[in-house]
Amino acid sequence: MKKKKSFWLLIVLMVSTLIFAGCNSSTSGDNGDEGGEADEGSTGGTLVFGRGGDSTSLDPAITTEGEAFKVTKNIFETLVEFGEQDTELHPGLATEWETSEDGLTQTLKLREGVKFHDGTDFNAEAVVFNFERWMAGNKEQFYYYNSQFGDKVDSVTAVDDYTVEVKLNTAIAPFYKNLAMSPFGIASPTAIEEHGDKFLENPVGTGPFKFQEWKRNDRITIVKNEEYWDEDLPKLDSVIFRSIPENSARLNALASGEVDLIDGVNFSDVQQIEDNPDLQTFERPTMNVAYVGLTNTRGPLQEKLVRQALNHAVNKEEIIDAFYAGAADPAVNPMPPVISGYNDEIEDYPYDPEKAKELLKEAGYEDGFEMELWAMPVPRPYMPDGQKIAEALQADFAEIGVKAKIVSYEWGTYLEKANNGEADSFLLGWTGDNGDADNFLYVLLDEDAIGSNNYTYYKNSEVHDLLLEAQATTDQAKRDELYKQAQVIIKEDAPWIPLVHSRPILAGKSNIKNFLPHPTGSDLLSHVEVSQ
Amino acid sequence: MEVSVNNKPPIQPKNNEDKVQSPWVEALQSFMKNKIALVGTGIVVFFILLAIFAPFIAPQGINEQNMANRLQAPSAEHWFGTDDFGRDIFSRVIFGARISLWVGFLAVMGSAVVGSLLGIIAGYYGRWIDTIISRIFDIMLAFPSILLAIAIVAVLGPSLQNALIAIAVINIPNFGRLIRSKVLSVKQEEYIVAAKAVGMKNNRILFRHVLPNSMAPIIVQGTLAIGTAIIEAAALGFLGLGAEAPNPEWGKMLSDARVLLIQAPWTMIFPGIAIMLTVLGFNLMGDGLRDALDPRMKN
Repeated sequence: MKKKKSFWLLIVLMVSTLIFAGCNSSTSGDNGDEGGEADEGSTGGTLVFGRGGDSTSLDPAITTEGEAFKVTKNIFETLVEFGEQDTELHPGLATEWETSEDGLTQTLKLREGVKFHDGTDFNAEAVVFNFERWMAGNKEQFYYYNSQFGDKVDSVTAVDDYTVEVKLNTAIAPFYKNLAMSPFGIASPTAIEEHGDKFLENPVGTGPFKFQEWKRNDRITIVKNEEYWDEDLPKLDSVIFRSIPENSARLNALASGEVDLIDGVNFSDVQQIEDNPDLQTFERPTMNVAYVGLTNTRGPLQEKLVRQALNHAVNKEEIIDAFYAGAADPAVNPMPPVISGYNDEIEDYPYDPEKAKELLKEAGYEDGFEMELWAMPVPRPYMPDGQKIAEALQADFAEIGVKAKIVSYEWGTYLEKANNGEADSFLLGWTGDNGDADNFLYVLLDEDAIGSNNYTYYKNSEVHDLLLEAQATTDQAKRDELYKQAQVIIKEDAPWIPLVHSRPILAGKSNIKNFLPHPTGSDLLSHVEVSQ
Repeated sequence: MEVSVNNKPPIQPKNNEDKVQSPWVEALQSFMKNKIALVGTGIVVFFILLAIFAPFIAPQGINEQNMANRLQAPSAEHWFGTDDFGRDIFSRVIFGARISLWVGFLAVMGSAVVGSLLGIIAGYYGRWIDTIISRIFDIMLAFPSILLAIAIVAVLGPSLQNALIAIAVINIPNFGRLIRSKVLSVKQEEYIVAAKAVGMKNNRILFRHVLPNSMAPIIVQGTLAIGTAIIEAAALGFLGLGAEAPNPEWGKMLSDARVLLIQAPWTMIFPGIAIMLTVLGFNLMGDGLRDALDPRMKN
């Protein structure tokens, strides 16, 4: 009897396994069919985008995290938009914009006939509603609004249905560049009121894609917005963002066809991808800088001559060849050359160990000295492998008699300690938010930023005055001039060794067309096509 | 003060010309007959010589970076190829032998000394001292050893020296328990009872009689433990908790080569082989020693 029982159990198990297997294959078959039908028209289809982390929020206004913007960029639109691969300004939800003589009144004409995903109308009232929402919150809630606009916005009013007027109490030179940043995507007032705190899970914007589903730590699905104001867009039927934290695992997922497009490719894997005819690589235009911070308040690094000597000691070209697969340019200034105001007349300290030794001698460190060199424990697009780059620098420094001890901490501790000025020299970098010089020079090297992002404790009152003046100047040519002057002084003071501006690498299947990675790291996918 | 009667422990007769050979000589003879053990010893001696004469053998300096020569496959010029800094891997592996053997010997020496001491005390005195020491050993053995090592390094800060200390600490209970059990049995031997009867002091009994007669398992365990210690040092190096850059520690070399696995497999293969061979050498030698010194363990 017992035997018979177990026999039947086995049969039941086998049958149920078959049924479940059948379910699986039939669902995947359905997906395939859908894809097949859509592909006949050469547009449509699904793109699976593999990335390093999940979003923390789908409401762009309340987050600062890059992974979040990658998704919201496609759901929400901003009043003005960046160019396809640069940070020039183009019409977005506003078609025209104007700044008054004194720079204190900004007038925007809005696009007509645009609807939010929930069917409500986009108009001046909606824009005012969004501004009022941001203004009502504090820095913890709306970090970017408070850091970019803060108290400088007096009022936002709807002049008529499609005209908005923003009154400022202080001129904000990069006003429109700021507005083009992903956090200022315009959200549906109805949806915000309806969902309240849950809006971050139920985003409703005007963008080319509508939100469909979010499985935490796994995937986010967005689907084509059939009512999109530009009838030709988007080309894809849907996009799935999948999180695969490990770089090599993500690349494997691409190679095995599990995903179509990935970011965060190790530079050392580029060759392998290019050798594979089924795959292609994409370079994200650079808007970052990697640097060695020389904490200006510590030991021999207090001396300008010593800092200049260390600048002469580093062979940037070799580092780029070895660890960036050539996909980077040597950095001269603390901001990338694509940004307006970049001073291209400044020459870099050439790689010259002899000159470096002379400078050390002049500073009274003929026999060199010992210092700590902190290596970043995590890979970043601007710094693919902190440990190895530190090791290369260690050898460079050793050549001029400076003994560097490589130290590393867990990432949070690393930043905290470096911020406290506890590191002698340290590796770090910065990716720009809005393509404005202020977002590099003021944020990273002004004395006001000591304790936030000025980790080197660099302090120069001349630079401070220039940067503050530039913030309040609306004439772009004049601003550029101020920033250029500041860069000259910074170069002379040498608070950093600027290392490289890298071009982060993405990879995708070879059938992906029109994918243009954006320097800010948030890619608009409305033009992307997947062909068969 | 004690009068120097016969210093030698009873089982170590002065000359071995007698018909009754010393157990040590007997052990040596049996060891020499064990071919596999000899191969192991050969490997160990080979690596020791490599370590000693590293500066003369290595064709290049270990930290000579030459980016133009990076990631070259093995060739006549670079026998083991070059790494991503253009450094000669052959030279680095040879110098790595110094680090690994040094860590292995010193860590085991440390744990053997401390472990034996605690083990003898626990075994000989028994009672509450035994209870305390044995329970501490039990607690330490309850941790996965590498986890304990990581915790120790995390507290002391990552460096080769601290990795060495951590490895020494985690191996203490192995030696301690071994010696304790050996002492428990030696304690009952007649010559110890006799020594006690003639009024010999505890210290003298411990170090003159009990310890020498408990040496065999320490030697066996020590040899085997060096192999384990080398692997543990490599594991800590791999996790970034051991040797600091640019030291050519084998485990660290493996970790550095991880991202190059497909592109330049030689960066990983040679340090890996070096670790495998040394550990194999010590294990074979240790097995041979155990067979020779501890005949009861023989199958």
